[in-house]
Amino acid sequence: MNDRTLGTPKTTAAPEETTTPETTTAPETSAVPEGATAPETAAPEKTATPEGATAPGMAARAGSRPGGGSAGRELLPTATPRRTWAAVRESLRPHRGAAAGGFAVMVAATAIGLLTQPLLGRVVDLVAERRPPGALTEPVVLLVVVAVTQGLATALGLSLVSRLGETMLARLRERFVDRALRLPLEQLERAGSGDLTARVTADVSRVAEAVRTALPELARSLLTIVLTLAALAVLDWRFLAAALVAVPVQLHTARWYVRRAVPLYAGQRVAAGEMQQQLLDTIGGAATVRAFRLEREHAGKAAGRSRAALDLTMRGVGLVLRFYSRLHIAEYAGLAAVLLAGLLLVRGGSASLGTATAAALYFHSLFGPVNSALVLMDDAQVAAAGLARLVGVTDLPVPEPPPTPPTSETRAASEGATSQVGTAPEERAASRGAMSEAPAASRAVTSQPPAAEGVVAAEADVAVEIVGLGHAYEPGRPVLRDVDLRLARGERVALIGASGAGKTTLAKLVAGVHTPATGSVRLPVPERDALVPGPGTTRPVVALVTQETHVFAGPLAEDLRLAGPDATDEELRAALARVGALGWAEALPEGLLTVVGEGGHRLTAAQVQQLALARLVLADPPIAVLDEATAEAGSAGARVLERSAERAIEGRTALIVAHRLTQAATADRVVVMDGGRIVESGHHDELRAAGGPYAALWKAWSQARSELPPAPAHDSEALSGPASGPLLTP
Amino acid sequence: MGRSGRAVLGRAVKGQWRGVAFGSALGMAHQAGEALVPVLIGVVVDQAIARGDLGALLRWLAALAVVYLALSFGFRFGARAGERAAEQAAHALRVALVRRVLDPGGGAGNGRPPGALTSIATEDARRAGAVNMALMSAVSALAGLLVGAVALLRVSVPLGLTVLAGTPVLLWLGHLLSKPLEHRSEAEQERAAHASGVAADLVAGLRVLKGIGAEAAAVARYRRTSRDSLAATLRATRAEALQNGVVLALTGGFIAVVALVGGRLAAQGDISLGQLVSAVGLALFLLGPLETFSWVNAEFAQGRASAARIAEVLAAPPAVVPGGRPLPVPVRGAVRLRGVTYGGLRDLDLDVAAGDTLGVAATDPADAAALLRCLGRRSDPDSGTVELDGVPLRDLSPADLRTAILVAAHDADLFAGTLRANVTAGLRDDAGTPHGGDVTVVEGAAGVPIPDAPRPAAEAAADPGRAMEAAADLGRAMEAAAADEVARALPDGLDSLVGEHGRSLSGGQRQRVALARALAADRPVLVLHDPTTAVDAVTEARIAAGIRDLRRGRTTILVTTSPALLAIADHVVLLDRGRITGSAPHADLLRDDITYRTAVLA
Repeated sequence: MNDRTLGTPKTTAAPEETTTPETTTAPETSAVPEGATAPETAAPEKTATPEGATAPGMAARAGSRPGGGSAGRELLPTATPRRTWAAVRESLRPHRGAAAGGFAVMVAATAIGLLTQPLLGRVVDLVAERRPPGALTEPVVLLVVVAVTQGLATALGLSLVSRLGETMLARLRERFVDRALRLPLEQLERAGSGDLTARVTADVSRVAEAVRTALPELARSLLTIVLTLAALAVLDWRFLAAALVAVPVQLHTARWYVRRAVPLYAGQRVAAGEMQQQLLDTIGGAATVRAFRLEREHAGKAAGRSRAALDLTMRGVGLVLRFYSRLHIAEYAGLAAVLLAGLLLVRGGSASLGTATAAALYFHSLFGPVNSALVLMDDAQVAAAGLARLVGVTDLPVPEPPPTPPTSETRAASEGATSQVGTAPEERAASRGAMSEAPAASRAVTSQPPAAEGVVAAEADVAVEIVGLGHAYEPGRPVLRDVDLRLARGERVALIGASGAGKTTLAKLVAGVHTPATGSVRLPVPERDALVPGPGTTRPVVALVTQETHVFAGPLAEDLRLAGPDATDEELRAALARVGALGWAEALPEGLLTVVGEGGHRLTAAQVQQLALARLVLADPPIAVLDEATAEAGSAGARVLERSAERAIEGRTALIVAHRLTQAATADRVVVMDGGRIVESGHHDELRAAGGPYAALWKAWSQARSELPPAPAHDSEALSGPASGPLLTP
Repeated sequence: MGRSGRAVLGRAVKGQWRGVAFGSALGMAHQAGEALVPVLIGVVVDQAIARGDLGALLRWLAALAVVYLALSFGFRFGARAGERAAEQAAHALRVALVRRVLDPGGGAGNGRPPGALTSIATEDARRAGAVNMALMSAVSALAGLLVGAVALLRVSVPLGLTVLAGTPVLLWLGHLLSKPLEHRSEAEQERAAHASGVAADLVAGLRVLKGIGAEAAAVARYRRTSRDSLAATLRATRAEALQNGVVLALTGGFIAVVALVGGRLAAQGDISLGQLVSAVGLALFLLGPLETFSWVNAEFAQGRASAARIAEVLAAPPAVVPGGRPLPVPVRGAVRLRGVTYGGLRDLDLDVAAGDTLGVAATDPADAAALLRCLGRRSDPDSGTVELDGVPLRDLSPADLRTAILVAAHDADLFAGTLRANVTAGLRDDAGTPHGGDVTVVEGAAGVPIPDAPRPAAEAAADPGRAMEAAADLGRAMEAAAADEVARALPDGLDSLVGEHGRSLSGGQRQRVALARALAADRPVLVLHDPTTAVDAVTEARIAAGIRDLRRGRTTILVTTSPALLAIADHVVLLDRGRITGSAPHADLLRDDITYRTAVLA
């Protein structure tokens, strides 16, 4: 028998759940993510907008998570500039040849293009020397040759540079998605999903935009500038000296601009994100806005956000335009200097009129590249910031490599680690005490299912073993204390309790979403289940279905195949049929090939949840955790979903968080939680007879369903009145 | 649609005509200046460099300085005016769109998901507004083109004609050669964008993926998408690179032609050397304005498409047409349906006396939804009438109606802000207008909007007595909805932020807060749809009692199959296959009606 120990941290040196992310294996990744340094500087409003989350200092505390207490935001790490460059160099290494080739072609193309001006100067000289018009043919033909060669070389060079950039970008985004999807959910919950979404959308597209347009253009501009200056020097070094008059002004302008632009654009993105969020809030909730007559207030809010975004945009425009104004000064200074140098050199006889003309034309042709290079620097900076946020994630260590079943030694080791996790010695002692003393609740655990009777038999047939489990999202606000629970293989346990009793937290800990603060969750895996069924896929030991749903964009069959990549169409149909979804699925316009999800066919809440259950069937885990998986569908839909859930967990060990007691009544065992503790455990009938909390819950639940209504005084009064009560007019 | 799209564009421009006119005037100065720079370089070559005249050089450099000053100034303030006009037009369209979407008459959504509507209000509004900037650029470019043309023709008519005829031909050739390439690259870029969509989708569903251990399958799927997308992108970039090369070659060839014609003219003594230099410079300059024209064309095409989408929303017919009759004062709250046929409802008759609590148990959720739509007047029935105190809803304006009837949806949205702001959202002052003041109040001094200004606080300053009363009302509603527990569980109580759509709350918490909001709104008629689907049995019982006590004497309609709630109703009707098939107190129906029993108990 092998064990898969969940919830025991790999690093034994984490006595307390600290707030620093795992960065031990990423030496150059900045250990403290942006925003984590100032968790208390709460922004006025929590913005989980993509942009909002990107801004440093915007990382505010999130509201309370569904599981209980509130948690401080802790964004995913961002790589340092040095590490970012190193990552770029690393990913460039396999393409060194292509990079060198592309660069060489671009240099050649630009150099060829710069022959144009001297050739035009040659035309001027020929005219000045009063040569016959026929003499012009030669430089003109050469001009055409230069144009065609430059065009071809540029096309080749650009294509090579783009290919390189795009290939690197594709590898980067694949690595990013790979790492992002493997992030521990716990870390993701701390960071908020907005952070990751912002990175995978806004940052990737920013970097892509840069690679697609800014990078080739910047390369071309910089090459043109450098080579033009070289060409000016070839004409006469004094032309170069004159042209360089403009450089200090340009450099100063560029620095001036970047200093102001970076914070301004950051603010602009935040404002745009806030506007977007407000519009989504208002438009998405339009029906509610109308029902409560909040039209004016919401229109006002949306207009206010839009106006704020407009103001910041205009400030940005103003800045860019001032930037150009300053560049105009530089242009004028340089042009005047070059013309002056031309005059002096021609007068002194050290340059021909044609050379002076070529110099002036060179400088005039520099305007474009210089302007675009300076502007593109800005884009490049934005892209670099995005890149740093991507590298920050790709550099995260890969979590555990699970497929090989752990040996008994690793179990022992991890159990050792488990006991070290306890926060304080006395608490640890307390949890040990809980273990050994086995309070009433957990005695019911072992006594109830017949399979878990004897110690040996229990070991073999235990699917979930929870010992001394405790958890707190915030220090000092424990949501779960001293929970001991053992699920026999194939047992269905319903978890009951008021909101905030810790049901969801317990479910998440069992599903491995959170690392427990104290105690451990063990999911002993028998050999047959540890077998890897198909190539490249591992059958999960435990699956979690919550009321949080998502339909993956694309054909319905593809959505299902995420859970069973090798499933045949027949298997997909069987899974749908099992949860009672085959009927509507086949009735879709194109059956299982109908595109669903974002931008596709819209499914009802109940259908979406059935889809989630069908995925559970396809993933086929031995243990299933359902967290109010039937809650969002309304009461009529809930019953349909309950049947679907029932079918989906057939043959599995199941932990079901339920608020509808029908699910409790049909479960093998009911576990009642209150205030983070298990207060009762046993079969429905047993607990109902026991007269404890469950009996009270059941009373409330069934009273409403019984034939005896609570019958408060006014009810009967109202009924007796002839005018009251709905009249049925046939 | 085409005409109304054009009307939207027309309004966008007309509303900003001052900005566009001012920007155009300054933009013309800029373009004229740009055209004069190569002319002046030529003059300097002729008058100063060729003659070695330093005095002349300084004079002409001073002239060049004046030109630079004008072009720099014109560009800076012209472009600013143009951008402002574009942004303001976009803002105006955005505000109009939001107003239309929120219009009490409804009908603007037309089944569009909120994301699509939001994108119309952001991206399409921006593109339609950008037409102002394009228009201003077009006028400016035209000025540059004219100045350049005049300067060229004054140098030499044949050379001027060569350049003036050549530049459009050159651009046309470039366009012709690159058109198939462009076409291909657009299609392929669309496919490339697909990869980013798939990634965002997978990340959005990350919890679901992790729940079933499908990370590896998802990564494999993304890798395939990414590779496909890369292949498409590479084809597109090759096409683009080729296009760039072709344009470069054509431009170079054109310069060679100008050099040939100009050189021959200069050699024959028809033009000076400086004029030759000017001509070459002007030829290069003229490509700018002409390229601007094709850019403007593209902007207008985009703007028209966006304007059409905006017009579709703005011009969408309202779902319900407001009637002219005023709301009865005071609203007693008697609701009557006569022969209502809508959706699955068949000739439905129903009476709710003022002050009664009615339970409606529907065997088909779709019937319940149809009934709710009619009661809230989100739609009018196909036939039959719904009346409030004897007045057909059709004769009332939906806005007025909603001050009397509140239909609280099962999945009602919460809004970003504090818990308190959410619950008090429906509170009204005596004037019958919602709190929150006018549009302009929302903005702070620094142009930074204040999220959820604490309205009860502002009220407290005005009238402490009423504020205390409001606080007590709020407390009662919170308690009745068992939302007081939610507030206690949050770190900052009522002042805790709930995130956009209240996402930082659990489903059960959200539902109770939404119910508290509906109860706090205190409408004469309250229709609650399945308000307790996500709460536990004990809480449900508490909520049922809370609703009963708080709404005593006020008309309340409970559309639900929850027995706990139906038990508090004075009377319950069973809605089966679009008709009412049973009508009695809950206990009686439960005892006598099998359909009811199966619908309600499970």
